Amino acid sequence: MKLVPSRSEVEPKVAPPRQPAAVMIEIDRVSQVFRTSGRQDHLALSEISLTIEDGAFVSILGPSGCGKSTLLYIVGGFVSPTAGVARVKGRAITGPGPDRGPVFQEFALFPWKSVLGNVMYGPRQQGVRPVEAEAQSRALIEMVGLKGFEHFYPKELSGGMKQRVALARTLAYHPAVLLMDEPFGALDAHTRTRLQNDLLNIWERDRKTVLFVTHSVEEAVYLSDKVVVMTRSPGRIKEIIDIDLPRPRRRTELLLDPRYQKYVVDIERMFDDTAEDELRP
Amino acid sequence: MSGRALLSRSAPWLACLGLLGVWQIGALILNTDSFPTAWEAVRAIPSILGDKESLINILASLRRMAIGFGVGVIFSIPLGLMMGRSRGVASFCNPLLMVIYPVPKAALMPIIMLWLGVGDVAKTLVIFLGVSLPVIYHSFQGAKAVEEKMLWSGAAMGLSAAQRMTRIVLPAALPEILTGCRTGLVLALITMVTSEMIARQSGAGNILFNALDMGQYDTVYAMIIIIGAMGIGLDAAFENMRGRLVKWSEPGFDIPLSFA
Repeated sequence: MKLVPSRSEVEPKVAPPRQPAAVMIEIDRVSQVFRTSGRQDHLALSEISLTIEDGAFVSILGPSGCGKSTLLYIVGGFVSPTAGVARVKGRAITGPGPDRGPVFQEFALFPWKSVLGNVMYGPRQQGVRPVEAEAQSRALIEMVGLKGFEHFYPKELSGGMKQRVALARTLAYHPAVLLMDEPFGALDAHTRTRLQNDLLNIWERDRKTVLFVTHSVEEAVYLSDKVVVMTRSPGRIKEIIDIDLPRPRRRTELLLDPRYQKYVVDIERMFDDTAEDELRP
Repeated sequence: MSGRALLSRSAPWLACLGLLGVWQIGALILNTDSFPTAWEAVRAIPSILGDKESLINILASLRRMAIGFGVGVIFSIPLGLMMGRSRGVASFCNPLLMVIYPVPKAALMPIIMLWLGVGDVAKTLVIFLGVSLPVIYHSFQGAKAVEEKMLWSGAAMGLSAAQRMTRIVLPAALPEILTGCRTGLVLALITMVTSEMIARQSGAGNILFNALDMGQYDTVYAMIIIIGAMGIGLDAAFENMRGRLVKWSEPGFDIPLSFA
């Protein structure tokens, strides 16, 4: 059963020819310095360069304080880099825009709006007529598994449900890129697993470009085509690992797959090295 | 309705009756002319409210209060929100407000009277000043506490800076703003009476202090009851409206002193 009208049904005029290997995001020698009062300036990101192809699921993995969220905020246009430039579809990023949809760990739902009101907010802002916006939003709410909760307020929902609403709210305005900032970081292990599975199922339908920030190695390997491992102080890319595991992925199968296990162990070893690096003078 | 629910619903009324009862007993024991019994005071209320002159005075008070409160709120909410979202505006306005905040607004009345006379404008201005500061302060706090990422989410949807202010900061800060407005409403009533105490010309405060001068103590206490009842009534009406506006907000905002 098809739950959600595909993009082509919603906007029949727009039918872009899909170029599988087209570059979606280009991060070109981006540095970020934070001025701290009193102490010396903190170099959060140092000359980061990264290219992300259209339709790729890319995770940025690193210890806390490595600047991985900052990198995501720069792509989102919420933070301007101190040096370097980030581009989306070849255009330099100067601010936020509906082509890049964020999903935050803190959910950041509008508490005065119902679930439906939250999801409709983006389409309404983009001038979609109320009737259409509502129909699309109801379909999305059903897709993220919250049918029946349309008129609940965010305060009445659990953390996992809030994050489902946040995902639906962002998908509702059809961003080309999903920017996910440790989206499942505040959830318990069980809810986290369920949301990971659901996110993969949703992603399989239209294969949007996803930039996914996490500090969980398993999560990064399970979800991604590519894992960008970062080190801290200053934030640098240590290594980029292509995750060559078949899709669609099933968590239960994957956990038994020696290739999956090897990716996880290899990446965890990298962090051991990084920790030792930090201990050296 | 269970007995417990009935009791908690009638509690505010019982409290008021209890207060009148204690007053009645206290006045009977003291037995002085300057402290009438509760019954004498209550009995004087119909004659005040039945008197056209008094009614015009009280309505004039309420009109000044409504104007002062309304203008105060309309002026203060945008200012407070801007202060909350802009460090520059906040550091410019904060010292100015901190100078004005501790000054009793009624103490400004003589100066304001020198400029504007004893009429409506001077009194309304004092009410405006009394209302503004708590509303500015709470709007400021409310706007400052708005989650950055909520604004980012709005920006990603294409909301301009002005739209984020009116469509995200304003509703997100509304519970805090309305807390300020509630304080402002009470202060409006207080400054209304004190302004009329200083600029004796008309109003509820004028009736009260004229009666005091003439030794009509039952009228004095009746006016105190009327002003108190106005306070309770306005607060209950306001709480009713607030409850409906911010029903989406976290629980814990209810202050259980209300007839609503």
